[in-house]
Amino acid sequence: MSQLMIADRVPREELMTSGHVACPGCAAPIAMRMVLKALGPKTIVVMPASCWSIIAGPWPQSSLKVPLYHAAFETGAATASGVRAALDMQGDTETTVLVWAGDGGTFDIGLQALSGAAERNENILYCCYDNEAYMNTGIQRSSATPWGAATSTTPAVQPQSTHKKDILAILAAHRIPYAATATVAHPVDLLEKVTKARAIRGTRFLHILAPCPPGWKFEDDETIELARMAVRAGVFPLVEVEHGEHWRFTAEGAREPVGPYLRKQGRFRHLGEEQVRQIQAEVDRRWNAMRRRVESSESDEDGSLAEGG
Amino acid sequence: MGPSGSEYRRVPPIAVSSSSTLVNHTGSWKYIRPLFQDRVAPCNAGCPVGIDIEGYMNLLREGRVAEARDLLLRENPMPGVTGRVCHHPCEVSCNRESFDRAVAVHAVERMLGDLAMPEVPLPAPPARNQRVAIVGSGPAGLACAYHLAGLGYRVTVFEAATQPGGMLRLAIPEYRLPEAVLDREIERIRARGVEIICCVNVGDDLPWWSVRANYDAVFLAPGAHRDRALEVEGEQSRGVEPGLKFLEDVKRGNRPNLGRQVIVVGGGNTAIDCARTAVRMGADCLVLYRRTRAEMPAIPDEVEEAEREGVKFEFLAAPVAFESKRGRLKAVECVRMRLGPPDASGRRRPIPVDSDHFTLPADTVLTAVGEVTDLAAVPQDLERQDSALRVGAWGETSGVRVFAGGDVTDETRSVAHALGAGKRAAIGIDRYLRQAAGEPVEPDGLARLRYGGSGNVSITRWRGDDPIQRASPTNDVVRFEDLNPSHFQRAARRDDRRLHSETARSGFTEVNLGLTRDGALEEARRCFNCAVCNGCELCLIFCPDVAIARGTDGNRFDIALDYCKGCGVCAAECPRGGITMTRAGL
Repeated sequence: MSQLMIADRVPREELMTSGHVACPGCAAPIAMRMVLKALGPKTIVVMPASCWSIIAGPWPQSSLKVPLYHAAFETGAATASGVRAALDMQGDTETTVLVWAGDGGTFDIGLQALSGAAERNENILYCCYDNEAYMNTGIQRSSATPWGAATSTTPAVQPQSTHKKDILAILAAHRIPYAATATVAHPVDLLEKVTKARAIRGTRFLHILAPCPPGWKFEDDETIELARMAVRAGVFPLVEVEHGEHWRFTAEGAREPVGPYLRKQGRFRHLGEEQVRQIQAEVDRRWNAMRRRVESSESDEDGSLAEGG
Repeated sequence: MGPSGSEYRRVPPIAVSSSSTLVNHTGSWKYIRPLFQDRVAPCNAGCPVGIDIEGYMNLLREGRVAEARDLLLRENPMPGVTGRVCHHPCEVSCNRESFDRAVAVHAVERMLGDLAMPEVPLPAPPARNQRVAIVGSGPAGLACAYHLAGLGYRVTVFEAATQPGGMLRLAIPEYRLPEAVLDREIERIRARGVEIICCVNVGDDLPWWSVRANYDAVFLAPGAHRDRALEVEGEQSRGVEPGLKFLEDVKRGNRPNLGRQVIVVGGGNTAIDCARTAVRMGADCLVLYRRTRAEMPAIPDEVEEAEREGVKFEFLAAPVAFESKRGRLKAVECVRMRLGPPDASGRRRPIPVDSDHFTLPADTVLTAVGEVTDLAAVPQDLERQDSALRVGAWGETSGVRVFAGGDVTDETRSVAHALGAGKRAAIGIDRYLRQAAGEPVEPDGLARLRYGGSGNVSITRWRGDDPIQRASPTNDVVRFEDLNPSHFQRAARRDDRRLHSETARSGFTEVNLGLTRDGALEEARRCFNCAVCNGCELCLIFCPDVAIARGTDGNRFDIALDYCKGCGVCAAECPRGGITMTRAGL
């Protein structure tokens, strides 16, 4: 079949409602909607402070049809650990506890709690939808903001001067059973990863790239295109890693230059050709590092097969 | 078992949601809205017959084969023929050509055409009393007859030859178009109520005045049956034969003695037909063409098949004299050509290089440099333009109630163009007869009937009985730039099955065997379904606001305008350009 006929592959059930207050073209609700479709109604969402705390609606509204527990910024993984323990005490092993956190609540403020939960291998699924800054409070930089990007705290005259934290490697270093990247532009890949994660016990981590029209400064209708370009340019490789060791690309398209991806976004408008080259060099470095991880996983697997055979 | 009352008191006070966000009508934020809007696929616009190709491809994708066949038969009376011999410009305009390779539309059409179909797909409207005479039973005449019969008229076709079909019967070789296929197609046209009378030479056996007096309208489609002369010294020698006459001779079952070496002069389909036929009669064959391969009007696939069967080509060469010895052709003297600036046809004009002459031995020369219309065979009062009958957009001639189409006019000479001209004239005649009967007709509705405004007309649009429900249709053609190719995956085009060239050249068995039914159905799934919704649901899944849902009331999708914020993600991600963002209705 030559076309993506997605209609047959996406669960019909809608667990997110219209009328939420995300900006037009926001990727965050697209990500939530797809993840909940894969998890089903037996899900409890724990949500530290993020754009989604607002998207879920002001009291007494909720835009989710599953229980949603708003938690303090730094406590996503800790709160989820508690919810999990309570469910376990009730003998409920079926319900998935989903942490739904932004990049601020994951890369920065919630990292300690996340590291603790991962170290204990808490039985939770932690999803970070990453829009690469504190968008809800006015586009302040986070440690997920890429080098060179303009934000309200790193304006164009002095843009972000550090590289994006490699959160997947941090989580993989905890040797949790499953960690993966995904984007809103690759729904089948995303659904497959969530479905796979749902069936695993222990800490599972999903890093979802969620482009932000006002924060990245692109047109509302380009959200999906930006996520797709990020993958094609190798800025955001689609990978998964099991037990911190077995790395695998889940999509490895043609590597395209990073320039067109950057040029589509106002937050990179101030960059000159030289800086674009610097970003390309960093993307290449990270891509090659990822490739080495994947290749060494492959050769390990070959070796173990040889021993077994 | 839930917690008891006393246990609840141990839970600290906490705000709990009691309603959903559905109370927020966030649709009020938008200033543009999406509209599902079916446009026109480039294949439809590029088809000289005016077939809803996109429509039948979409039905095939859903496995609705019989409906696809019926949709095809609405517009094309002979898909089994065009699936085999059409030069398929639909594939040239196919958007998939910009992605990997065009969909093999011809093979899909052929498969549908070959499905046995005794039934008449278009229910006839209430019969009309007017009678229409059609002169000539080639593709133009038969198409006109078929469509007029479908519109309820009483149609009589007069054919000078002993069997109907025109050039399809007389000239196209059996190995390209088996007569059994043509017979079946004509049988279906007859089944619509068309009367075909053969062996009548109108203007001779039956005077023109009688035809024009006894019928309410006349359609002239006598074709062009005379080979154009080469105007080369020695052309009258024994052994120099018109190619068309040779093809007709062979189709009648004769096997003229060609000798060992045959030279065919020309670069069109007749030339290739002559060459491949000569090969089948055991001759060595060389095609002499004054331009290069790129300028050949013949269908490229045919040229390749000819090559595989052993036909040789001499490009940039033209005959200047035929040499005979003892009344028998011996050789052809040729001049080398070079290409100059483009001529009126847009092709580079061949210019002789006078210093460069050469001689090729030949036992027979077949000339195939085009056919000319015999205007002596049509009423003399009708206005001419150059060497053709002058006709208007609806096929109307200068004579009252007389229409014309096909090779007798200056229409492009192809089976598809003839079928298209026949359909146009059928609508023109219907329009004229309705007007004559005092019924209101649109003053100029032709552009509306044409696919994309400039393609051929659609009888379905004329009848206004499209079985396919279309969403806010427009007549714009969707270009590759309007698609989102990110959602398509590369898929190899299926090649037609063919006889091995050794087997092929040993007889007149059909060479191209098309695709299997399953192969054609798979090929149909390569279609992008440009410009129309095929229910892929990408819009639904990508909508950030859950504002698109599977439709009720026959609509494919419903858009909840109370919640759609007008972001445009659906329109940007629609793979086939089927969603337009508009301010309309806000």
